[in-house]
Formats: sequence, C-alpha cells, structure tokens
Amino acid sequence: MKKGILYLNQFFGQIGGEDKADYEPSIRDGQVGAGLLLNSLLEDAEITHTVICGDNFMGSNEKEAVETILEFLEGKEFDIFFAGPAFQAGRYGNACGVICKAVKEKFGVPVVTSMHQENPGVDMFKKDVYILRGGPSAANMKKDMSKMAEFGNKLLKGERIKGAEVEGYYPRGIRLEIFLEDETPACERAISMLLKKINNEPFVSELPIPELETVPIAPAIKLADAKIALITSGGIVPVDNPDKIQSASATRWGRYSIAGMKRLENAADGAFKTIHAGYDPSAANADPNICLPLDALRVYEEEGKIGSIHDYYYATVGTGTAEGEAARMALEIIEHLKADGVDAVILTST
Amino acid sequence: MRLEIGNFQVHNVEFGKTSSYKDGTLTINKEEALAVVMEDEHITDADIVLAKPGDDVRIVPVKEAIEPRFRLSGGPAFPGVTGRIERVGSGKAVALKNCSVLAVGKHWGSFGDGLIDMSGEGAKYSIFSKLNNICLVADTDEEFERNEVQKKNHALRWAAHRLAEYLGSVVKDMVPDSSELFELGPITKRDEKVQGLPSVVFVMQPQSQIEEPGFNDLVYGWDANRMVPTYMHPNEILDGAIIGGSYMCCSSKWSTYDFQNCPTIKSLYNAHGKTINFLGVIMSNLNVSLEQKERAAMFVQQIASNLGADAAIITEEGYGNSDADFIECIRLLEEAGIKTVGMTNECTGRDGLSQPLAALDISADALVSCGNVSTLIELPPMGTVIGELESLMRDGLSGGWADDEKLGPSVKEDGSIIMENNAMFCGDSTLGQSPKTVIEF
Repeated sequence: MKKGILYLNQFFGQIGGEDKADYEPSIRDGQVGAGLLLNSLLEDAEITHTVICGDNFMGSNEKEAVETILEFLEGKEFDIFFAGPAFQAGRYGNACGVICKAVKEKFGVPVVTSMHQENPGVDMFKKDVYILRGGPSAANMKKDMSKMAEFGNKLLKGERIKGAEVEGYYPRGIRLEIFLEDETPACERAISMLLKKINNEPFVSELPIPELETVPIAPAIKLADAKIALITSGGIVPVDNPDKIQSASATRWGRYSIAGMKRLENAADGAFKTIHAGYDPSAANADPNICLPLDALRVYEEEGKIGSIHDYYYATVGTGTAEGEAARMALEIIEHLKADGVDAVILTST
Repeated sequence: MRLEIGNFQVHNVEFGKTSSYKDGTLTINKEEALAVVMEDEHITDADIVLAKPGDDVRIVPVKEAIEPRFRLSGGPAFPGVTGRIERVGSGKAVALKNCSVLAVGKHWGSFGDGLIDMSGEGAKYSIFSKLNNICLVADTDEEFERNEVQKKNHALRWAAHRLAEYLGSVVKDMVPDSSELFELGPITKRDEKVQGLPSVVFVMQPQSQIEEPGFNDLVYGWDANRMVPTYMHPNEILDGAIIGGSYMCCSSKWSTYDFQNCPTIKSLYNAHGKTINFLGVIMSNLNVSLEQKERAAMFVQQIASNLGADAAIITEEGYGNSDADFIECIRLLEEAGIKTVGMTNECTGRDGLSQPLAALDISADALVSCGNVSTLIELPPMGTVIGELESLMRDGLSGGWADDEKLGPSVKEDGSIIMENNAMFCGDSTLGQSPKTVIEF
C-alpha cells in the first residue's frame, strides 16, 4: 500500500479558529479532520501523517515554517503529498502552494492541492503544482476532497494524465501534443470552428494566444564610453565548431575570442563559418561579418563612436530553437557579460 | 472546372514480369521502372524496395512522397516537372490509391528529410506509415551538395515524380474501382442558393523561404519564392500543379502526395453548397524579408476582399520565422472583416514550456493546432532499414543529432532511436490530416 501525507491549516486540522492562526507547525500520525475523508477515498494508499500549521504563521514566518515541515518529513516514506483544499481562503491557498512547491522540490513526489479560481494562490503556484479547480467555501469539502483523491489515485497508479481540462486542474503553461481519441482530422476541426465563428457562436481556439511578455526599452547609454558585445543567433562559429552547437533546435552556445581581429576571416582562412541550417549559408560563409558585423563595429571603435568592442562574441543557432531554451541560454550568457562589464549588446540574427 | 479522378485501390505491391494492376495488386516490372528512374544521368545507383503497413521496417532519409497518377486527357501529371507546362485541374486522370512513391536517399540525408516506421509505436506519427510504399532508394552524382546540410535533392525528387507517373500509366486503359468528381464553377456563375451561403477561401502558404532556386515548392514548375499570391482553382492543386520542396523541417513539410490529396480542399468541397460557398484557393507563399512578408499578406487580403470572402481558412508549411507570414495574413484578413481560422503546428519545446509560435497577435483567435515539432520520440530498433539509419544523426536532419549531453546520439548502437517530431516525415499534416492537437498539461 502506498503512503500519503496531508497538510491542513489550524481550522481543518481541528486546532481552532482565527485565534489559533499563529499555530506553529506540528505533525501527527494518522489522519485528522478532513484527512479521514481523504483517506477513505484513496484506493491503494493511506494517509500516514498529517501536518498542521496556522495560516498566519505560514504567512509571517514562511521560511521557518517550511524548514520545520521539511524536517518533519525527512526520513518518512511517502509517495504523494496533499494540501487543502483551500477553497477561496487566500492565506490558506498561499500556504498550500508554498508547502507543495517546497515538498515537490525537496522530495520529488507528486503534490496535489485544490483552490477556487478566485484564490490568489492559483496564479502564484499553478505553474509549480497541480491545483485542482475547487469550490469557494468549505461547503464544497466533500466534492473538492473527492477530486483530490481521484487525481491522487491516478498519479499513484502511474496512469496517463490527460491534460489540465480533462483532469480539472489549472493549466501549468505546459503545452504538449496529444493524439485525439476520435482522430478528428485538423481540417474537420477547422471547418467546424469556422462555421461557429461565421455564425457568431462560441468556439474554443486550440491555441489561445498567450499574454506577451514585453521587455521595457532600457535607458540610453553613452556610446563613446561603452563596451559593446556582439551576440548572434546566426550560427557563426570557429570552423571546427568547438562547442558542437547544433544546426537546429540548439541547446548550446559558444563564447569565442575576437581580441585583436579587425574582421572575421572565413573558412578558407581556417577561421569562421556558419553552422545554422535555417537559412542560405553561402553569403555568411563567404563573409561571416555579414552575420556578425565585427568589421563595421571596428570602424566605429577607431572613429571613437563607441568605447570598445568586448573581446569575446557569443553565438548559438536560432532555427527550431524553442523560446524556453533561448531564454535559458540568454540568462547564462548574461552572467558572463555582467562579469566582464559589458554595457550593451548588438544581437544579430540571420 | 471539372476534374474526374479514377481510383484504383492498391492493397498489395509486388514485382513481376509486366507492370500491371489486377484486383488490388500492383505488379511492377522493376527493370522497366528503373529505366524510367535512370533517364537522368545524375542518378548513379537506384533500387526499388517495397514496404507495407505492419512491416518491421524503418525508412530514412525520406525526401518526398508522390501518389502515382496519369492524366488521361493528355499532358504531364506534374506540369513543369515531368513535362511541359499545361494547365491541369480539368479532364480525367487516374490514381493508384493507398500507396505512394517515396524518394529515399541510399546514404545521404538532408535537413528536410524525414523518417517513417511501418509498424509499432512510430507508425502513429506519419500518415505514410499506413500506405503501401514504393521506395525509390537511390544515390546521385550531385557532389556539390554531398556534404551540405541543405540539399536540393533534385535528381532523386524528379526521378520519383517520373516513377509515380510511370506507375500511374499502368492503369490508363482500365476501368477504375471508383471515381471522384471535383467540380466547382466560376464564382459569379453559381446558383442563388450557393451564393447565399457564407463564402470561404482557402489560403495556402507553401514553403518558399530559400532565395536560391532549387529548394522551394514549385507551382507549375515555378519557384514559389518568385511569385506574389494568386488565385488558383482547388482542382489544380489536387491535379499535380504543385510539388513539394526540399527545405523545411520534415514534420512541417507538405509532400507532393499531401498536395494531391489535400484534405482541407476535400473537406471544403464536401461543405460546398451545404454550409458554405467555397470560393477557391489563394496561393500565397512564405518569405524571408519583412517587406516580402507584408507584400504577400497585402495581396492575400486584397484578393480575398475582392472575391467577396466572408471567411477564410489559412495554413502555413513551416514554423518559426514563417509564423510571421502566417500571423500577418490572419491579421490583415481579420482587419478586412474576413473571419479566419488558422491551422498550424507549434514549437513549445521538449518540455512544452516555450512560446508556441514565433509571432503572435490577438486577431488569431481561432487556431487549430496540428502538433508540437519538438516532441521527443523514442523508438525501438526495427528489423529492416530502407535507406541508411545513420543519416538521422549524421546529416543534419531537423529532428536528429550527432550527440547530446543528456540524450546521447539520435541513433543508438542497437538501432533504437531518439529524435524530435521535427524529423517525422510530413508528421504534422498541416494541410489538414493531422489527428493531433496540443493541449495544456
């Protein structure tokens, strides 16, 4: 039989009401309060322990509360961790999110909680943990706890998870492909969606346009003093591609010296070439400066228009490269740029 | 225009003395078929190998797929490719259904090439796993591109089209099992009932993003990079006016077979006169520079508006950079009051966390998703490989790699593979066949 641990606040853990909201974390053997219900609904698992913590204590002493609870759990065998349901209670929702996230990171077990859509905890933690859609108040306890148990049973059995909508949790920002059970081809779905759109009937887009993350334009710098770095997603690398950057769907980047070079020589001189597979490489191979304009920037440097050119340039390949990978590579590169005191970057693509 | 395609169902393919068709069996005289292939002196070595659904077979690198066809009313099956330029889309043609001719590299793969498994887990990823495949496995003397990641694959692609036309000719004097009729009259000459229905155009954006000739899809033999969007009759597309190219990541690619059998055109035909008035096709393209993208979108908007379209379905043969062309077209169509649905695949990364399209706009409020190009796929070894398995990791195929810190090479010593969906042959079927979608997890 598998083992689960449940987190409850002071109220559902039967310690007391608002006057006990400062209650410090404790752990008990077996089930308390709403834990009895969850235990009865689990198919091949039992709730072996219950952690209880006051909502205010978690809110005001988060670090201490989390550390204490993680210590409680150290050495205990458990396959799943539950918290809540938290309904529309904001502090409880936050507590469930905080502790679920911490337990998932430390112990790597699946974590499940439940909240009403108005609970601020949903937006704070939906990307980190499974938060099932729950009702607004404790009147929904049986329903919400049943959903947590049902989903927990699936996770424990290793059943295939069928996505946020079917399973009833808030989308986590993870988009993956599935084969439709009825195999309705895309063209039939498109025509059906089009007819609804024509007739002003409600329809559901399969690819909702996400909110765009925009970056504010940085304040201007004084070019004459600035140290400027060149970065390209156009795949310009030394001819032997020392970091084996992939020609498409890149996960790697490289940092290469251009100290003392007036321009980038090409492969005929054993110098640079492009390994990017997403554009016609002939021009960039003949003259890599077309993609990474070192020659033009050196002129500016000589004229004093810019302070200096950073001794290293950075390169990766931007075809088929997922946006998440690109963001990770950028964060890694930025650390180097900051350490080297670079003031500005010219980023060239293809 | 009125096009009648006589269909011959192929349930079995075998080699024999005479190329012929009888009771669902296509017999191929290999010597005669190879003579058609070898008409091009650049083909240095060729063989024909058969693969049927359920076989323990993996095919890679696959460059193109074509349905065998022959035009009874004269003229080449692929105008501007296997013969002179002649307008297609009306008259009579015959087709060998349930089969395709595949152009397969004997050794060498390229960026746009793909993989097909004929059975097992891998077979669900490509519609070509369900067809009787006549694999032309060949090598050429195209030394100039031997070590290039991007290859034009001209000799092999053209040979496969000739072979498809040769096989189609086998049934030219026979009575077909069944026939399909595609008839759509001039827009202003349709009856009142049809005119009263919401009018719909289909906007196609075939791949044309390489400036150098030889890589892009061809429209009547003409590089789609060198055209501005134009109006076409859907029958022209079903009847061989367009052939596939040799550039795009494979799961996003449209093969000649996909054009010949375009599911969205067939669905729009089915809906015509019932729920919609199908106006026809706006053949656009995909471009490189921003000005080219804007010009093409402007033409699409103008043609759709002046045809009187109330609504549109649009699809792109690509992702990433070309999402800008796709989204800009949707934006301008919506701006003109034309209600638009887009069909495309996504690139959300192996973990599903990345932005799905490179360009986004709130006007694209009705999209059908056909898959995630970066899905990681692990498949066991297959008994037989047609082509060369190493090409998947060696030759820069879009979904394969030579090495990876975490995943190792795409091809393992025992013949099992790990790859991205990117290299599944025409796997995302964005011309309308895809049974896949993308959902939130």
